Amino acid sequence: MTETTKTPDTPGTPSADAVIAPDRQGLIPLPAAAARALTLVGGIATVASTFLAWTWTADFPGDLTVYGYPGGLQWLTLVGGALVALFALAGYGVRGLGWLAPAGPTGPAVLTALGALGVTWYTVIAIAVELGGLVNLEPGGYVAAVASLTTVIGAFGLPAGADETRRAKEAFTAYLKAHGRSRLRLAIAGVKFLNAYIGKPDHIAAPQTVPGWLQRLAVTAVTMAGLGIFSYGIDIPSEEGETFIGYLVVIVFAVWALHTAGLLDRFSRLVAAHRGFALAMGFVAAILFPFTQTDDHYANIGVNILIFGTVALGLNIVVGLAGLLDLGYVAFLGVGAYTAALVSGSEFSKFSGVQFPFWAAALTGAAASLVFGVLIGAPTLRLRGDYLAIVTLGFGEIFRIAVNNMDGVSGPDITNGPNGIPSIPDLSFFGFNFGTAHDLGGFTIGRFANYYLLMVLIMAIVVLVYTRAADSRIGRSWIAIREDETAATAMGINGFRVKLIAFALGATLAGLAGTVSAHVTYSVVPNPYQFAGAAPPNSAFLLAAVVLGGMGTVAGPLLGAALLYLLPEKLVFLQDKSLLAFGVALILLMRFRPEGIIANRRRQLEFHETGQLDVPQQTTLTDEPAVTKAGA
Amino acid sequence: MNTLPQQLANGLLLGSMYGLIAIGYTMVYGIVQLINFAHGEIFMTGAFGALTVYFYILPGGTSMWAAVPLMLVGGGIVAILVAVGAERFAYRPLRQAPRLAPLITAIGLSLALQEVVRNFYPGADKARAFPSLDTTHDLGSVTIKDADIFLIVAAAVCMSALAWFVRKSRTGRAMQATAQDPDTAQLMGIDTNRIIVVAFAIGGFFAAVAAVSYGLKYGNIDYRMGFLMGLKAFTAAVLGGIGNIYGAMLGGLVLGIAETMAATYINNIPGMQQLGGQSWANVWAFCLLILVLLLRPQGLLGERVADRA
Repeated sequence: MTETTKTPDTPGTPSADAVIAPDRQGLIPLPAAAARALTLVGGIATVASTFLAWTWTADFPGDLTVYGYPGGLQWLTLVGGALVALFALAGYGVRGLGWLAPAGPTGPAVLTALGALGVTWYTVIAIAVELGGLVNLEPGGYVAAVASLTTVIGAFGLPAGADETRRAKEAFTAYLKAHGRSRLRLAIAGVKFLNAYIGKPDHIAAPQTVPGWLQRLAVTAVTMAGLGIFSYGIDIPSEEGETFIGYLVVIVFAVWALHTAGLLDRFSRLVAAHRGFALAMGFVAAILFPFTQTDDHYANIGVNILIFGTVALGLNIVVGLAGLLDLGYVAFLGVGAYTAALVSGSEFSKFSGVQFPFWAAALTGAAASLVFGVLIGAPTLRLRGDYLAIVTLGFGEIFRIAVNNMDGVSGPDITNGPNGIPSIPDLSFFGFNFGTAHDLGGFTIGRFANYYLLMVLIMAIVVLVYTRAADSRIGRSWIAIREDETAATAMGINGFRVKLIAFALGATLAGLAGTVSAHVTYSVVPNPYQFAGAAPPNSAFLLAAVVLGGMGTVAGPLLGAALLYLLPEKLVFLQDKSLLAFGVALILLMRFRPEGIIANRRRQLEFHETGQLDVPQQTTLTDEPAVTKAGA
Repeated sequence: MNTLPQQLANGLLLGSMYGLIAIGYTMVYGIVQLINFAHGEIFMTGAFGALTVYFYILPGGTSMWAAVPLMLVGGGIVAILVAVGAERFAYRPLRQAPRLAPLITAIGLSLALQEVVRNFYPGADKARAFPSLDTTHDLGSVTIKDADIFLIVAAAVCMSALAWFVRKSRTGRAMQATAQDPDTAQLMGIDTNRIIVVAFAIGGFFAAVAAVSYGLKYGNIDYRMGFLMGLKAFTAAVLGGIGNIYGAMLGGLVLGIAETMAATYINNIPGMQQLGGQSWANVWAFCLLILVLLLRPQGLLGERVADRA
């Protein structure tokens, strides 16, 4: 994909030039060489500072008291500092580092420097606040704070890209023209100028062609790195909320920097070129996850994320592809779970004499969900989409009320009411008992890890169904219906039939996931299957996972589910306010980034209402996600 | 003793409450084709606004004759502010967006409002006592409370006022025009943004009236009261024909009576002994909604409208 670089003459009114430094110079007027040196030295000093002690007591989570060995948040600072140093070296044109920043090293250096600054200062301030005063800081803490600040000053002295400087200048001038001048306005315009640093340039040099095996190797390396980063996050103990926040800060800035550097674009092109291979690597990484864990508790988090993610992916067919808003989706998970529990042979089940083998139970659960899906969908899908939202919401409530009442006292005796169906036996395949730990080549695979692996298999099925369906004739009809039902019907698509298929398919997949979740949690009770609650899964969380991650993509809902599961799990202090945060997040997302974290190109254009002529030159309309993250 | 008249009265009362809330759904839907999913929460904030007036503003021992109108004002102001604020800051920026966007915003808003009240209103994480009007009157075989009288009078006054407003006033006629065709209405010089704000405000005020009646009748309110009430009020709006304000009231009454009847009498039907009672009433209400959507999707009073998407 080659493109001629435009070199428009920028008139740049004098008033803008007075505020913004001339082309090819940074925000802070430093000689380029000095800025580069400052960034590099700051980055290295930041790394070095993590080997010092930052505080005197091990009371602060992660033990930051040891000389010579970083701990907790120091590791994160180290990563941030190392990234800055790398990008600064790339700025020197060091051989072999050019691939790091195809779009120029300045933006990434600024972003990673900000990330390192964020995590360092957060740590230092947290130490001072939590332990009561600055006296609790050892010299190492001061060194780190100064070093990270130096880095940021240096990074802002780096020359911003020419294209971006021009764009920022134009935005700046236009803004001042439109709004007049005042100190506040100048500040706002200054913020716009920051875009010169963090915006991704339009033009990225085409990559050199490298042999296929090397490309595959790159995909493998990135996937494994993703697995490592993900495991690191999961392994942060729940008591160390501070460390998890630092982890998030570093990840956000690092990913942003990679985006600005143009590496994410390159990677997604790589993934597009080796789709099957990348998908396979993703699953290999997912399968390897339990082997990186020493504690079955973390495998439990993993299996819950997978269940949550699988259900979110099912919901994504309904919401993301077909554009139908299903607000009672968790009820289908519930139908599957209850069905599986009833035929599991649990002594508390109404049919305690019956014990289906798992494949039969899974099929029964999925089939029961399918039946309910069709029952709910058939009357409502003929109507405008809004009715479906309300009817599914009503169905979700009915399901919970009904299973709550069917205890033999206030209703027929089927589900044991609020007590639910406990002591569901563990699964057993061909003598392989899921309930006990197994030794596998030196690794111990605990109970939850067993279920985790089963869930990976089910996830693979769901991903397969999702991608095959999305690429098929049906999938194209879904997208057509979503975008304009009237036009799609006029083109001969049977809207009702296609929508019903989407709805029923989504319900079936949720039911399938439900059958496993019943066995993982030992028991099914009505309470989790509600519209909104403090812990996933519930319909509101599921929807939030799909919307936050990115509607209509495979990786989006999985990422969203992982995030939404981990945030309340790791940030215990957030527990009370998490629903509030999600509510506000949904509103803000719809307002500012309706396409979610991982954007589906088509969806992105649809949401931003650009006319055909406004489509950026470099983008072609494909269904490839703009950003692909594997291994999450 | 024949329980039918009493049950009918109960259904009628419940139905008036649904009808009052349903007005908010139906007016907004009629004009901007948006399900304001957060309307149930606007109802809830109205109740808390009224409670604030009673407990934190009025001196203790104020006579209910003086307190109730002031609570209506307080609840009304809060509900209107929330409704109009939601329109201005959450929905208006999305007016040209795909349909899914405002619906998801509405869900977010609904969650956020619930959580704001739960987290920041004193004692709102549990049910809070609301002043109630419990004096009972016997009318033949029917017993009603003062709160019921308030509800029925308030509902009747509100509905007649609204009917007059929509038919006779300038703004009301502009509203009808906007509902019929927003673009043409705008060409005729109607400020459609103002009309939409008015629709949200009226809906908010009616929800507040319903909320005060709810508190006076049941004696306590909680942050989750808006969810089910909102859902059923929406059912009522669909039942009557969404977009039609008379339909909303009729739908509310039908739904209220049907729900009460189902809760009382369905266990007399052979084979359904265990499906009666209050715990199943919601289930029957939603079954009614699904039935209506199957048999008469345009609702009782609605006309079949062409898809405007």
